[in-house]
Amino acid sequence: MKYLAHVCSIVPPHIVDALADSDDPEVREVGLRTRELDDQQRQQRLRAVPIEAPAVPPFVTDQPDRTVFDAGQSTDLPGNRTRGEQDTPTTDQAVNEAFDGLGSTFTFYYDVFQRRSIDGAGLPLDATVHYGQNFNNALWNGRQMVFGDGNRKTLQNFTASLDVIAHELTHGVTMYSGGLDYQGQSGALNESISDVFGSLAKQYTLRQTAEDADWLIGDGVLVSGINGVALRSMKAPGTAYDDPLMGKDPQPAVMADYVNTLRDSGGVHINSGIPNHAFYLVAMALGGYAWEKAGRIWYQTLTSGTLPSDADFPTFAQATTATAHTLYGPGTEEDAVRKAWGQVGVNGNG
Amino acid sequence: MHIRVTRSGGFAGLTLHAELETSGRPDAAELERLATDAVTAAEPESSPVVPDGFEYEITVDDHTAHCADPHLTDAQRQLFERLLHEGA
Ligand SMILES: [Zn+2]
Repeated sequence: MKYLAHVCSIVPPHIVDALADSDDPEVREVGLRTRELDDQQRQQRLRAVPIEAPAVPPFVTDQPDRTVFDAGQSTDLPGNRTRGEQDTPTTDQAVNEAFDGLGSTFTFYYDVFQRRSIDGAGLPLDATVHYGQNFNNALWNGRQMVFGDGNRKTLQNFTASLDVIAHELTHGVTMYSGGLDYQGQSGALNESISDVFGSLAKQYTLRQTAEDADWLIGDGVLVSGINGVALRSMKAPGTAYDDPLMGKDPQPAVMADYVNTLRDSGGVHINSGIPNHAFYLVAMALGGYAWEKAGRIWYQTLTSGTLPSDADFPTFAQATTATAHTLYGPGTEEDAVRKAWGQVGVNGNG
Repeated sequence: MHIRVTRSGGFAGLTLHAELETSGRPDAAELERLATDAVTAAEPESSPVVPDGFEYEITVDDHTAHCADPHLTDAQRQLFERLLHEGA
């Protein structure tokens, strides 16, 4: 039944299901990808509904082009357009926080890496707040950021944390840089890169050195009363929370504690602790502002165009070590990167 | 009918489980309809998910299937909200 693959765009859903059910991995992949494309096309049609035309000429691309939408607790995207670049702040705190967070993240990427927006070419930054009812999440859906209000028993205020907003935007940066497959070790690297630049955006905005930074991700989203300081700690993975409602932070810091699981796309939010900690160790070894050297090495590696989308930890370790050598020559920086990966038990053979 | 749902992934990476037996419940017919629709529209293998999207595993009696953000059907969304008491 392989011939069906060639007409996948018009295959009805039950056939797609049959394809996706196939014992042949290639056929199954086609079935799964077809469902993905169907959804993308549906989203594009939804997205094609015109919104208000800008009253002034388009912004030059060294300024962000932000639009915040309000889903009003529905699951319709993008929702009602609530604030754009020409508008004054609204009375809705989540709208203003998202707007400001997008601006701070844009400024971070532009000032530090001369990158104009997510795609490097001034892509408009769209975010929807108040998505769903008790939606306990923030995500990047491939074209925009989506923020729920939390269930308010464990998590809330996703828009209040700059590291959360910068984390989501960085998923876009990774996507436009060639992508890292959201599965297993490449998926954990994708997650880690979002945490790294999420934390760096916060550090840059606060002008904190590596020594002064808290290296926490999501420190503003825990409801008060939860026993924890954040969702993740790059400094000490596995120690961010321990609470009856949330369980215990499952992140490992070293390869010996790598978690094999089918859930969470193979533990992408769990095993990201290992590359997160490696970055922290590099930043601490080099000292000063972490975005200047450690951040530059990671950014250059991500955007080089040579990082394979299925990169595993050793591949990324080798690539960052090579980038440190390219940027700074042999010596302190390259040694710090090689040593950090060794400390977390990843052998990059670099 | 026995229905079990496991949600993993999401920005926080927290895993949630819920299960129930429909027999004897006043809303049994509706839950069984939602669960049947939800599992029929799901994939036998793990579905691709957008970054920080939620991933779901649905088991209806002894049949298990998967789905993920943002590809949820209305039945899947409603079932998850009913069992997990959170937005889906
Ligand atoms: Zn993420």
